Amino acid sequence: MAISPPPTYVRRPERWDQPMDASMTDADVAWLRSRQPFASLDSAAFPRSTPLDGVLRNDCRLIRCEPGEIIVREGDYGSSAFIVLAGSVSVFVSQLSPESLGRTEVKTKSWAQSLQAWWATSRHAEVRTAEQVAISSGPKIGQVDDRPAIFMQDFSAMIRQSETVSLGPSELFGEVAAMYRTPRPATVVAEVEATLVEVRWQGLRLLRKDKRFADQLEDHYRKNWLRIHLRELSLLRYVPDDSMDRVVKATALRSFGRIEWNNDFRRTQKLTSREQIENEPIVASEGQFPTDLIIVRSGFARASRSYGTGHQTTAYLGAGHVFGLAEAAHCAFRPENMPAMVLQQSLRAVGFVDTLHIPIEVVVEHVLPHVRRSELPTEVRHLAEARLGLNGDRRRIDRSAEHEASRYKANDIRVLMGNTSDHTGRLEFLVENRLFNGAQAMVIDLHRCTRCDECVKACASTHDGNPRFVRDGLQYGPLQFVQACMQCSDPVCMVGCPTGAIHRHTETGVIQIQESICVGCGVCSSSCPYQNIRMTPVNDLKGNPYRDSRSGLPILKATKCDMCQSQPTGPACVSSCPHDALVRIDLTRSEPLERWLEKR
Amino acid sequence: MAREALREPSMEIVRYDTMKLSIRQRRVVALVVVISALMVWLAGAHWIDTTLGRPEVYSGATLLACLVGLMAIGMRKRLVVLPLWSVSTWVQVHIYTGLFACIVFAFHVPAIVANGVFEGGLSIMFLVVAASGVYGVFLSRTVPKRLTALSSQPRFDRIQWHRNQLAVAASDIIGELADTPDRSVVVSFFDQSLQPYFASSLSTRYLLFPSTSYRRKLLAELMELDRYLNSEVQLAAKRLAALIRHRDDLDYQNALQFRLRAWVVIHGSLSVLLIVWSLVHAYLAIWMHGR
Repeated sequence: MAISPPPTYVRRPERWDQPMDASMTDADVAWLRSRQPFASLDSAAFPRSTPLDGVLRNDCRLIRCEPGEIIVREGDYGSSAFIVLAGSVSVFVSQLSPESLGRTEVKTKSWAQSLQAWWATSRHAEVRTAEQVAISSGPKIGQVDDRPAIFMQDFSAMIRQSETVSLGPSELFGEVAAMYRTPRPATVVAEVEATLVEVRWQGLRLLRKDKRFADQLEDHYRKNWLRIHLRELSLLRYVPDDSMDRVVKATALRSFGRIEWNNDFRRTQKLTSREQIENEPIVASEGQFPTDLIIVRSGFARASRSYGTGHQTTAYLGAGHVFGLAEAAHCAFRPENMPAMVLQQSLRAVGFVDTLHIPIEVVVEHVLPHVRRSELPTEVRHLAEARLGLNGDRRRIDRSAEHEASRYKANDIRVLMGNTSDHTGRLEFLVENRLFNGAQAMVIDLHRCTRCDECVKACASTHDGNPRFVRDGLQYGPLQFVQACMQCSDPVCMVGCPTGAIHRHTETGVIQIQESICVGCGVCSSSCPYQNIRMTPVNDLKGNPYRDSRSGLPILKATKCDMCQSQPTGPACVSSCPHDALVRIDLTRSEPLERWLEKR
Repeated sequence: MAREALREPSMEIVRYDTMKLSIRQRRVVALVVVISALMVWLAGAHWIDTTLGRPEVYSGATLLACLVGLMAIGMRKRLVVLPLWSVSTWVQVHIYTGLFACIVFAFHVPAIVANGVFEGGLSIMFLVVAASGVYGVFLSRTVPKRLTALSSQPRFDRIQWHRNQLAVAASDIIGELADTPDRSVVVSFFDQSLQPYFASSLSTRYLLFPSTSYRRKLLAELMELDRYLNSEVQLAAKRLAALIRHRDDLDYQNALQFRLRAWVVIHGSLSVLLIVWSLVHAYLAIWMHGR
């Protein structure tokens, strides 16, 4: 009998192996338990595996802020919320100028400026002036305890000029951005020396075990944000206010998967397609009776149906897409003797998805009567027409909204139900590699690309002699998805930047780096799941590397594709391709890529 | 800001795509433009001829203007910072201007290859540049598909690095073999044939005329050793065979990518020579006419 080799024993990783702040002590936890809102939390509500003390010790950190320190910036992405423990902070209700946050607006160069810059190109790569490397005006970068911090200059004048709200002890901010992966809605600055506790997303979720805390969080979201989010859905645009009140009240908020999906991405990429899909948290299962209309609020999900012994991807869904509409409409419009339609597909979270669930009875009563017939899925349209033929026009549309509605196209329904494609293999590829995250992905048609590298040379000549992408990447058939920043719709690279140097342009959506406040920590670079951000040492005008005056280490800056925002040509890679082989394309929708391929 | 969180999926993102028309539509539009331009040009030539003007000066001036226009693409490629249409638009204009110039050339010259060393040489130079242009279009339309069909898509500047990696991997396979009697068979073949193959750089002959004959020869020889090997060493031989195929793919990539790059250099250099020659020809023609 063969003797099996002895097993190798390893310790199973545990939830809190990596605390948010390893220096949190028992004394800190005890002190936190004495402050509001933690003092009033019911520790019995927390399971033994994740006790309240454990949450405070592992998912929280204490931070001390000095007056004028910017805690969060409007437009930033973050995965943590803050509770004021001592002192006070100011929330800037009105929008602040980018300069006051240390960011300068990128201006498109004129012809003369472009020519001048081209002529004056240094023979050394990555050359910067001293002003470009370190901040000279606007906010100041300082050190508070052991972390870099950025301070608003002339804070008192800014307070006087702007509309602000003051938050004091036990008040919470930043939770909406943390829980729902949305941009921070406002800038928050420490008014006086303040002590805050920063709670990461996982901890915030656990703290919701306490009913009062959870209700407080949910009430805040429901009161301030949910109605706005629902109103932005084209499907709900005709729903009158009284019905909308019912919808808001009945809507449940759910999350699936891990918000830091980028940490798992490299591991899941190694799995087979079947394993990947089986590992994805399930939101709704094929074959079950529909209970809710599901709206994707943020993140991504995959709709799939059983095929053979596996699952075939039928669509990918992003923010604003709905799932289960056909089944809900079938329930509403079917004759009484017709059985209800079960869910035709499953919905799974790809990485992370945040969803809104409207119970089906509320959908039938308060939503569907206000949906245009043309916006109903084709498979149930005939039922709706038959029902309407008997009962007259069920639509109770506010005609004044008709003008607003004109911008919605006839194919709304296709758009609303997610991104589908006749080319299943390509759809599976985009989902498996999470390429659907890219709003400006660089795609090369290898059947036309002569590998001349003109795109790389053009990029280098417009970016300090150093290209901002690598002409290499994942390949599907003749399509190469190049390693260039895709200006993701879920920019995980922006989570965790200590100074807010990496930010999204409010108009173009391009994610850009303000080098003067980039401290070179590399958080964005290591967070990017596609490895499209590189840390680069910068040089002075003579080509000598800049070094930190304190540590002597080289000054590093995060570099990535900025879509050549300052160039009058647009992205140099696109305009320099001699064979129309390269395109910057929105992969968050399947249609642009399909249209581009049709033209070839 | 939070209002943007649930962005409508139909919201339009600025799209950077140089192709406004499909490739077929673009071809049709370009041909219509060339034919129209040619008809206008022929009407002009006819009018000059009937008014006892000098149609050869008219056609020569047109040709020279075309050549200057054709050369301008080189400058455009260097001035990537200026919004002077995309380079792909310039390439299309270049191709169809070249076609137009060839037709004008046929009207301009008394014979396809003119008499005399200077004039004959200029005719031949024009024909060579035109032929290299046609060859370039052929290359740029066929080679990418051949490159894409290969197993990997290395960058030209990284090919040598990949070759070195393969050589290391092959040595590692030999190094990992257990000391069995059949090991010496593979080691001996490796030392005699494979090691020099993996260590060699690309030969000029392969660069100009890539062929799979040497790969096939090596693979056949390796296969013949199979009968002397046990299953473990056979597996190593199969891994070596995979590396041989990979190396040959790399060499093929190198040869094809080199061909594309060499063509650009040759076509560009010949074009410079042609325009200088044409300018001298134009000067001489005007000077001779004056005398």
